[in-house]
Amino acid sequence: MTDTPVIWLAAFVTVVVFSYALKDSYIYRLVQHATLGATVGVTVVVTWKQVLLPRWWAPIWAAAQGTAIDPATSRPDYGGLLWLLALIPGLLWYFQLSKKWFWLSTLITGLFVGTAAGLAFKNQILLIMPQLAASIKPLNPFVRPDPALLYGPAWPEPGTPAAWAAALNNALFLAALLATLFYFFFSVRTDHRFLQAPRRFGRLAIMVCLGAMFGSTVMTRMAYLLDRLMFLSHDWWQEQVLVLLPRVWGGG
Amino acid sequence: MRFLAHLHRIDRRWLYVATLVLMLVPFVKPLTLPAGHVSRTTRAAFELIDSCPPDKVVIIDSSWDAGSQAENRAQLEAVVAHLCRRKIKFIVTSLGVTPLGPDFARDIIRPQVERAGYEYGRDWVQLGFVQGVAGALGPVIDRFSRDLWGLYPRDIHNTPVEQLPLMQAVRRGADAHALCCFTYAPVYEWISFANAQYGLRLVFGCMTIMCPAYYPYIDSGQLAGMLVGNVGAAEYEALNGTAGRGTRLGVPAAFGNGAVIAAAVLGNIGLWAERRARRAAA
Repeated sequence: MTDTPVIWLAAFVTVVVFSYALKDSYIYRLVQHATLGATVGVTVVVTWKQVLLPRWWAPIWAAAQGTAIDPATSRPDYGGLLWLLALIPGLLWYFQLSKKWFWLSTLITGLFVGTAAGLAFKNQILLIMPQLAASIKPLNPFVRPDPALLYGPAWPEPGTPAAWAAALNNALFLAALLATLFYFFFSVRTDHRFLQAPRRFGRLAIMVCLGAMFGSTVMTRMAYLLDRLMFLSHDWWQEQVLVLLPRVWGGG
Repeated sequence: MRFLAHLHRIDRRWLYVATLVLMLVPFVKPLTLPAGHVSRTTRAAFELIDSCPPDKVVIIDSSWDAGSQAENRAQLEAVVAHLCRRKIKFIVTSLGVTPLGPDFARDIIRPQVERAGYEYGRDWVQLGFVQGVAGALGPVIDRFSRDLWGLYPRDIHNTPVEQLPLMQAVRRGADAHALCCFTYAPVYEWISFANAQYGLRLVFGCMTIMCPAYYPYIDSGQLAGMLVGNVGAAEYEALNGTAGRGTRLGVPAAFGNGAVIAAAVLGNIGLWAERRARRAAA
């Protein structure tokens, strides 16, 4: 029962948010702003409690008090004080607020952009190279491909209907891949009538992909709605309203 | 024909109401649908976790909160139920996405491990949240894979990890049998750093809206398996022989999706009839 006020408040907020589907209202906007404020507040508190306090402030405080002990020498370890240096790059961000000292903030911005660019380069290489290799797929249903060169599921027995189906699937994949790449090929004129068919097929492949994305978007929105309906029907109606109402009316 | 043409002009608020009513029906009168086809991605995820040897652990990165609990919650419940049934030991982390991740994960995991008789520190461990910059989690995941003890010197209860028996076998994230990441959209750095560099096998549990982005990595073998939204959770529960949140949400989801499909079909029929009537009038 300790959660009772929280559940009633959550149910109220949920219903108010749903009311927007009918009409915008003052109470909807009030709830919207309160939710945003609460989210920011909770995130600040949790970030302090779970990140900054144990990982940044606690080592500094322990070192300052001399309670941090180096396990190798059993003597006080003052290394935790080095965490104070993290304040310098952190505070550099705030110079963006000053026209005069703005250039100081570019030091930290440049550091972050450079780091991110380096990481992105490595990330993309490791991400895309296996994709390139995996796009080379077997097309002959009568031959068993070398397993070392095969990505994805195992190849069926050669010559069987399953091998034919796999080969056709791979052929369709290859056609869609090439046609889609061709659709975005702007270096030469592609308005020749022989080049129109692959362009059209490429566009069709893109539309199928976008259709799948749109379908999955609808399903996600449905899941959001269902989550709230389940909360209202189970956590609030069944476990709160149907339990509390008999007590109120019955005097129990 | 005139009646059909009206289908194109139905006020969309009626469609909202019809969809809502249809979705509420299974909540008022509980219904069940037969377990359908289990997708290749869910089966692969199940088989990977099921094949975990007794001396290995599974790592669960639970990085979701209220924003994506609509689907990630059912996925986490389904996988933890499987781990508990098979008595597989596991470690829970929350890397870089939301500081609320550990609290949401604990609420789901604790009742299940208590029922299964798991002992904290020996059978399961929760390491907590590590801050990371969104879109640049590479260094965090890199360290996670090669030096888990360094990334997490203490668990969520502030106990040094070297004092936890379960952690003796897992000094690096790459020592785990597999990693399951549950969040709105798992970052690609899991694939490029944890899998490509350190060979850690990955299962993603993502929102349905994100799944088209990850299918190519299933085909290339960079991802071992994937749970797609609540459908993935329901499929996982079917393989595990349990009926949890994913299964319960499957029926109203099917009703809602059916309503959307019906509305799309009726709208198109209305459009076709309207054009035909206009052409006939001309």
